[in-house]
Amino acid sequence: MASPSDSQTASSLIETIQLEHVPSSYTVLVGLFKDVSNAEFLQQQLLGRNSEYEYAFIDASSVISRIQVLAAVYKAITIHMSGSMKTPNVHSEIVCSLSPNNNISEAYRRFGITPSSSKHLIIVKVLTPLPAITTTTTSSSPLTPQAVHQHLFANVKGTPTPFTDEVLQSGLTDWAKVRKYYKLNGVGWLDSIKDESLRRREAEVLVLGSMALRSL
Amino acid sequence: MAKQHPSGPLLSIGCEGSANKLGIGIISHDPTTGKSSILANIRDTFVSPPGTGFLPKDTARHHRAFFARVARAALAAAGITRPEKQLSCVCYTKGPGMGAPLQSVAVAARTIALLWDLPLVGVNHCVGHIEMGREITGADDPVVLYVSGGNTQVIAYAERRYRIFGETLDIAVGNCLDRFARTLAISNDPAPGYNIELLARKSSGRVLHDLPYAVKGMDCSFSGILTAADLLAAQMREQEARIAAGEVVKEEDRITPEDLCYSLQETIFAMLVEITERAMAHVGSNQVLIVGGVGCNERLQEMMGQMAKERGGNVYATDERFCIDNGIMIAHAGLLAYETGFRTPLEDSTCTQRFRTDEVYVKWRD
Amino acid sequence: MAKTAQWRKIHPPPPPPAQQQSEKPHEPKPETEQFPLPTILTYPSSTPPTLITQGAEARLYKTTYLLPSLPAALKYRPPKTWRHPVLDARLTRHRILAEARVLTRCRRAGVPVPAVYAVDEGAGWLAMEWIGGPPARAAINEWLKRRKEEEGGEGRAVPVTGKEERDKQLVALMRRIGSAVGRMHGVGVVHGDLTTSNMMLRPWEKGREPANGYAATGEGVGDGLLDGDIVIIDFGLASQSTSDEDRAVDLYVLERAFASTHSRAEALFTATLESSYKETFKQAPVVLKKLEEVRMRGRKRSMIG
Repeated sequence: MASPSDSQTASSLIETIQLEHVPSSYTVLVGLFKDVSNAEFLQQQLLGRNSEYEYAFIDASSVISRIQVLAAVYKAITIHMSGSMKTPNVHSEIVCSLSPNNNISEAYRRFGITPSSSKHLIIVKVLTPLPAITTTTTSSSPLTPQAVHQHLFANVKGTPTPFTDEVLQSGLTDWAKVRKYYKLNGVGWLDSIKDESLRRREAEVLVLGSMALRSL
Repeated sequence: MAKQHPSGPLLSIGCEGSANKLGIGIISHDPTTGKSSILANIRDTFVSPPGTGFLPKDTARHHRAFFARVARAALAAAGITRPEKQLSCVCYTKGPGMGAPLQSVAVAARTIALLWDLPLVGVNHCVGHIEMGREITGADDPVVLYVSGGNTQVIAYAERRYRIFGETLDIAVGNCLDRFARTLAISNDPAPGYNIELLARKSSGRVLHDLPYAVKGMDCSFSGILTAADLLAAQMREQEARIAAGEVVKEEDRITPEDLCYSLQETIFAMLVEITERAMAHVGSNQVLIVGGVGCNERLQEMMGQMAKERGGNVYATDERFCIDNGIMIAHAGLLAYETGFRTPLEDSTCTQRFRTDEVYVKWRD
Repeated sequence: MAKTAQWRKIHPPPPPPAQQQSEKPHEPKPETEQFPLPTILTYPSSTPPTLITQGAEARLYKTTYLLPSLPAALKYRPPKTWRHPVLDARLTRHRILAEARVLTRCRRAGVPVPAVYAVDEGAGWLAMEWIGGPPARAAINEWLKRRKEEEGGEGRAVPVTGKEERDKQLVALMRRIGSAVGRMHGVGVVHGDLTTSNMMLRPWEKGREPANGYAATGEGVGDGLLDGDIVIIDFGLASQSTSDEDRAVDLYVLERAFASTHSRAEALFTATLESSYKETFKQAPVVLKKLEEVRMRGRKRSMIG
């Protein structure tokens, strides 16, 4: 957990990202936490449907790039807008959008938070437009990015780290897993690419293609 | 050979009988004004009983039996008393079409040509439709959709030929409709397709049966759709039998002839409009002319009109007098060729079941 | 449409209403010129989407995906109002998915095509990797033009045979085309509309050239004009097929398109295409045999009469 004195700089480690072609009423916040020690607690909150913990907790070992995460966020938002969500909320949609198939529980297991394997977490919060009819419960005041920052720093026991491709490439990505999940093992020409950055880029577009064609 | 004063209007008689319509028409072209006048357009249709199609043998017999009567009526309507003096040529359908009916009419055309000592002009049936459509509607250089019982083609003119951009890969669209009318045992009078159209109009439009949509580039195919529609019709009959036996079938599960006709029309016309649009985009045209018997269908005209409007253009169509096979279109296209010096010598005045639209050298257009 | 269907009196044929209207000045432009954007592109973006092409059934926009720095091509199939809405939705969905599937299949197999970024088949769009560079058609024509100028530009253009040293670049490009098509056919995809307009010439990155020896370096016409990777685009009419007939038709369409747009290099193209196609595609000999048949058929079609 970040100490209070660090909160100013730590706060900048939770990025607010304005995605292209997304209504401005949606706000996307993304942060990367390394060495998370309370994954089990966080997963319990998810399973218990604790609305204060409504985040997309993504296992960073299944992620190869920022674009991959943003593509999942984008897809989840378009699904949210079209009203055709197959999971409880836009955050669970994000986790499922990372999957190359339609198996929801497998998606949670592979791309979501698991107490045993999730060391590093990418956490996404989407602040959605208020529904047209709000219930009169007192707690339904809109969340602010600041509130999200505070809540994350207070409750995620890990080291906030810049969410960059470089950090992901510094050993966070578990390539064996990624290759298995996205069926990259049979792709011979990919392995024969000598240039590492080019190879990663080609892998990335194959991953994006698999995600885009999920369920199709 | 021409028996007119060189500057006077030219008259021709056209004889058509490639399918079940026997048509004889007389047209006049004024070479100085470029105007055409229809002097006569008489038709007699061989109608077969419901559930049957017209067989070549019976159709040919009909044409032979009625030729003299229809020809006399045409001459009378045109006020022609001395055809050997007043006409310039005798035009007849050389093909494509059904062999026996084509032959009957070709023999009759040869007979009157010899009788009156007039030159013969053999005409491609499809070119006849196209030229008549252009003349009637004033469409100058349209993409042409030619849809009838025997033909389904998307055509555009380029360098002296009507080029076929797309066509059916199996049966003609009209054939598909006619055969489905037979499946449903709908009347063939005045035309099976027309009766399908009337039934389709009675559909609520809420049910669209799933029929295979078969478009490949600018070509399309209809035999799979016919098979699927026939299967649905069989299910419908089975349903009717169950209902007659006292079984209850839910209203929303009921298959009706109206919905079947509606679904069939919606599907095949969408295919036709799509391939036409593709050809229009290809040649950069926004005019479309629909010719052939199926072109009478108002739903097809409506869909084509919407498409053309979205492209900033127009649809041109004619009514049943010109859409459906007729003699006047043969007289008109034949006279256009005659004016460029084209003649069909007696020894070549045969007919052919296969005669592609793009085989004709269109000397009368630039 | 009952109005336009009315028979108009034959003498004199009056001009159709549309023609009368179009002669009027200040006529509002036809609806086709004010395309509404697909909903997805109405949401904010760093740069406004640009309409690149407008085909019979789809529009292609240049836009961005996720980040301002990531250019993308968005293909949109607008609803066809003339089609039954149920049928229209079914077809649009089906076609968007078919195209996305063919693209991902090719891309996974290493065939040079745009990568798929995102798909919304219900809304009728498909977002793809943006491929930079000119279409091969434009590059080849520019190259042929410069070569002609080199010859002096006078008199009739003589066929480019590829035998001269300066033609190396063109031959190399043709080999890259044949090789790309062979690889595509090898993974069970036929394109349906192969032309040099549907092939982009994506610039090589800082000195990185293909290792297959198809890049001709050295002196030649229009230095570097024909450099780049061939990327096949527009799979709107593509299908997954392993039929030799379909493949032969693909080659025939390409051959004809090449003949009509770059007629000076037609014979060279045919020969080069065939040899490089063989190198990347095992079943090429069967397809090339079929191609002979298709050519005969095609010629016959237009020659009779």
